[in-house]
Amino acid sequence: MPKLVVDGVEVEVEPGTTLIQACEAAGSEIPRFCYHERLSIAGNCRMCLVEVEKSPKPVASCAMPAGEGMVVHTNSPLVKRAREGVMEFLLINHPLDCPICDQGGECDLQDQSMAYGVDGSRFHENKRAVEEKYMGPLVKTVMTRCIHCTRCIRFTTEVAGISELGAIGRGEDMEITTYLEKALSSELSANVVDLCPVGALTFRPTAFSARPWEYKKTESIDVMDAVGSNIRVDSRGAEVMRILPRTNDDVNEEWISDKTRFVVDGLKTQRLDTPYVRENGKLRAATWDEAFAAIAAKVKAAKPERMAAIAGDLACAESMKALKDLFDKLGSANIDCRQDGAKIGGKGRAAYLFNSTIAGIESADALLIVGSDPRKEAPVLNARILKRWNQGHFRVGLVGEKRDLTYPYDYLGAGASTLGDLVAGKHDFLEVLKGAKNPMIIVGQGALTQKNGAAILAAALKIAELANAVREDWNGFNVLHTAASRVAGLDLGFLPGEGGRDVEAILEGASKGDVDFVYLLGADEIDTARLGSAFVVYQGSHGDMGAHRADVILPGAAYTEKNGTYVNTEGRVQFGRRAIFPMGEAREDWTIIRALSAVLGQTLPYDSLNALRDAMAAALPHFDAVDMIVPAHDLPSVSDADLAALGDDTSPFAVPVKDFYLTNPVARASRVMALCSAEFGAAPAQAAE
Amino acid sequence: MSLFSEIFVWWHGQTMGTRFYTWRKGKLMGTDDQGNKYYQASDGASIGGYVRRWAIYNGDAEASRVPPEWHGWLHHTVDVTPDESGYRVKPWEKPHRANLTGTPLAYRPSGSILAEGVRPAATGDYEAWKPE
Amino acid sequence: MLDDKDRIFTNLYGLDDWRLAGARRRGDWDGTAELIARGRDWIIDEMKKSGLRGRGGAGFPTGLKWSFMPKDDRQHYLVVNADESEPGTCKDREIMRHDPHKLIEGCLLASVAMGASACYIYVRGEFIREREQLQAAVDEAYDAGLIGKNACGSGYDFDLYVHHGAGAYICGEETALLESLEGKKGMPRMKPPFPANCGLYGAPTTVANVESVSVAPTILRRGASWFAGLGRPNNTGTKLFCISGHVNNPCNVEEEMGIPLRELIERHAGGVRGGWDNLLAVIPGGSSVHCLPKYICDDMLMDFDSLRAVQSGLGTAAVIVMDKSTDIIKAIARISYFYKHESCGQCTPCREGTGWMWRVMERLAKGEAEVEEIDMLLDVTKRVEGHTICALGDAAAWPIQGLIKHFRPVIEERIAMQKRGATVAVGAVAAE
Repeated sequence: MPKLVVDGVEVEVEPGTTLIQACEAAGSEIPRFCYHERLSIAGNCRMCLVEVEKSPKPVASCAMPAGEGMVVHTNSPLVKRAREGVMEFLLINHPLDCPICDQGGECDLQDQSMAYGVDGSRFHENKRAVEEKYMGPLVKTVMTRCIHCTRCIRFTTEVAGISELGAIGRGEDMEITTYLEKALSSELSANVVDLCPVGALTFRPTAFSARPWEYKKTESIDVMDAVGSNIRVDSRGAEVMRILPRTNDDVNEEWISDKTRFVVDGLKTQRLDTPYVRENGKLRAATWDEAFAAIAAKVKAAKPERMAAIAGDLACAESMKALKDLFDKLGSANIDCRQDGAKIGGKGRAAYLFNSTIAGIESADALLIVGSDPRKEAPVLNARILKRWNQGHFRVGLVGEKRDLTYPYDYLGAGASTLGDLVAGKHDFLEVLKGAKNPMIIVGQGALTQKNGAAILAAALKIAELANAVREDWNGFNVLHTAASRVAGLDLGFLPGEGGRDVEAILEGASKGDVDFVYLLGADEIDTARLGSAFVVYQGSHGDMGAHRADVILPGAAYTEKNGTYVNTEGRVQFGRRAIFPMGEAREDWTIIRALSAVLGQTLPYDSLNALRDAMAAALPHFDAVDMIVPAHDLPSVSDADLAALGDDTSPFAVPVKDFYLTNPVARASRVMALCSAEFGAAPAQAAE
Repeated sequence: MSLFSEIFVWWHGQTMGTRFYTWRKGKLMGTDDQGNKYYQASDGASIGGYVRRWAIYNGDAEASRVPPEWHGWLHHTVDVTPDESGYRVKPWEKPHRANLTGTPLAYRPSGSILAEGVRPAATGDYEAWKPE
Repeated sequence: MLDDKDRIFTNLYGLDDWRLAGARRRGDWDGTAELIARGRDWIIDEMKKSGLRGRGGAGFPTGLKWSFMPKDDRQHYLVVNADESEPGTCKDREIMRHDPHKLIEGCLLASVAMGASACYIYVRGEFIREREQLQAAVDEAYDAGLIGKNACGSGYDFDLYVHHGAGAYICGEETALLESLEGKKGMPRMKPPFPANCGLYGAPTTVANVESVSVAPTILRRGASWFAGLGRPNNTGTKLFCISGHVNNPCNVEEEMGIPLRELIERHAGGVRGGWDNLLAVIPGGSSVHCLPKYICDDMLMDFDSLRAVQSGLGTAAVIVMDKSTDIIKAIARISYFYKHESCGQCTPCREGTGWMWRVMERLAKGEAEVEEIDMLLDVTKRVEGHTICALGDAAAWPIQGLIKHFRPVIEERIAMQKRGATVAVGAVAAE
């Protein structure tokens, strides 16, 4: 543990710590442009120069390892002069267009030139101008502002796993470019904008729309996938302007996917802002009382076993809890939160969680992916796998459709038969898993939504057992969900009760006329044509598939408009917070169900969000452990009978995310997402070799 | 204009006092396109060293109704009336209009809540879903 | 004056056969196996005793540098820097085309000294014939069993590869050279880690200049004391000098270290054009060092320490001579342009500073500037110097600093002339 003195403060740091981190630890702030904690060290901006005693020249603190007995000065005249020099050099070719630059107000160059620069310029020559580069529909470039920190290049290569960004030319003619003027084909591309210390890369969709100081910042949780990325919702007045990542090392580090970030314009289109009631085949705007009365009439006429409820992918835990309680009171067991029909849940919590945790990926040393394309289903999680892969000594095997995952992998086979081979020990990759210290298995929805999904799950459990992946100190069995609501739904038991119907049976029953009343809680990914003549209530925020078919529409709040609890694929309970109020007549979802319960004469026993949350936590204690992981140890044991249905199907597992940019009602309402979808299209399968 | 309305509708045209003074001392110098009449004191009575000049409006007594050519004469910028100087309206000049502030015809910026027509986009706008 | 018997590069001018037979006749490859048999410690010790300092410009003691290589069982590499791009310098080129076996034998011995089983020679992109010649010599050496498996019958396995660069000045910087060799963009790496610990492909690597490596076999054969006996203390041995510019007979010549500059020029290069009194300035070590005005040149000794004492440097010993017909400001401006053009663009002070300095220099050359700008320019050079990743920033700053230090009145006079409205004739350009 090297000990060093920084500005008279003695600090002791881990071996291998850089000087810049040691200085931070000692409380001395070091300005920097190119250095970033999560990227490799470039050392090229020279802003972080500090004075180290016995060193003839100032030292770039980002690249210098902290050494025993170093005496560092970060505020000496030498350092001040060096910083002023670098600042001046950076500014000579930087345009003074701050008033029209979107980065203005949150610009590192602006801030640091205030703090460390000089007041005037001595540069009387012409400034450099650089042509703009095309980087796709999300990233706008003004390359004249570029200060060549190369953070964007390092991010795309190291985190996003694409080598599409680089520098050409040398000296002052160096330019950052995509070489061929094509869009960045990464789901994480817009993070380069967050990384850009100047206004060279800015958000194209929100260009010139607001200034950073106008925003109200709300810390919330993303619902576009089941990772539960921590986000900051920036709103101005009654409008969400943009979404930025929030640092959480356990979940998303500081990256978010492009869908998470740019879905905001979807929050402003296709909104359900007033209740509707279908009369004579036509939907008509109605009052809440009319809508409730219409529902009450149908509910009172229907038998409990002929009623059903389906929860959608974006539902918060509170609304699902309320709806489940309501259906319990009504006496119906026909509830399900698995729109895609995944055969999961009900067998112990550990059987449907990402038990290794996302941060745990970094300590794994072999990975088997079964029926999943993490790059499309959870881009941020995929970045974590790539991060682990970059550290070396990590083998990845894939069973399912061949996809470009940004890192190389052993392609084991397409479907269930390969899984059978692995279980039977007829495949070498089992030896890789067995030989690994911390083997990891990720089962995706592509596998679990198969007809024999339960057997596939059992096979995956069996492989985990064979590879000794489930131990006291390591749980390598993981399920990767695609829906933000899924784990909460499974936790709450939003599943068919005794003799109840699951999604498939509900649709089957509705089309045959056995189900009269269907309550869709934001469920749009089902085949609404199969709802037959059932009376459909749709509660949600966006007019999508469900709303078109509905007989009564109850306008709910989108995820930025309500305080909601979400449980991510790891089982981490997180609170999303309200940034703005729901549109028009729309209300927060649990309050709608609570109000409806009173009309139906089945009043639910909670009158406030806190009471509802208390009720949830009383039944499920882990809902009290916010932002934390409560490890589950209840993996079911697998018998041969469970594996019998596995079969020897060689057809590939389904792909749950057909088009990354259009997976949910909010994304489908977004113009930016439609643009991206047009640019990148549905995820192309990697060419078979 | 009837005498009756001239007595009671005092915000139009002239008051009785002005009518009397104009009858006694006023020398009509000219009339503009709107029918406003311009007078000068025939006895050379002056205020502050300038000969007294005044207008009697054809309708609403609103000072901004004076067109620029007469404005110059009325305020002693020039001493020749437009008629005498042969003033011509240029073909590209729009007809003079009084200041409409405070009237229903006043200018409303596009963001004003009193403006008519399509409201410009504003923060918090959203597109509601409509059943087809 | 160096005696012929003390010359190392006996075929510097290519008058003799450059192939293996000729090289053997000149004494190369003589008893190499015995030298190898004496072991790496002996070689390093001998090199240390000889006092040889790196001939690439920095003048770091070669024996010490070789001894930095860790003694572990990792793969070690020797990389020979034949990316000779310093303006005015053409010594490595002569070695490669006229005496390639000296270099190859040196590579073998140096590799033995640092436990490297493979050596790369990174040849400058523009050196096409030189590379062909060198490659032919390497092939000859392979065929004769001098290198390859069981090199010279010593039992030492050694492979030698000639790599052709693409012609970038910055690739002569050792870490940029390694990057380029690895197939990446030639941009210098941060130090630490130093190449001796983490160099080519992450393995311990020593990057050495062609001349330093080429003289090693002769030193080992003739003994360290012979080499140390030449020159002055701490600046021992012989050195190839490249004399160019306004001399009657520009040439490369091997001379003893510490030879007076005047003697070097007058004896070997036929004197300054128009006589010694016509001398304006000399850049003694390639373009990257301070230029020296005549009054310093009069009794200047050509070695590392003497030149350092006047804030210049021996560099690559490329003596660029400028007589009084030279427009010194324009000459230095041309050098500034060279550095602006060759800056890799990685780190800020060099990327932005070289362009700035060049533009101000161009204006100074025309006199279109204010007198205060001279001090501003000096300040800018100081802000570039020492703040960059590699030494290119320093190299770009020093010529300008030298100019301002020694020729400030010339610049001021030109500005004054321009202000008076007199036409400024931009004179002949030395460096072009």
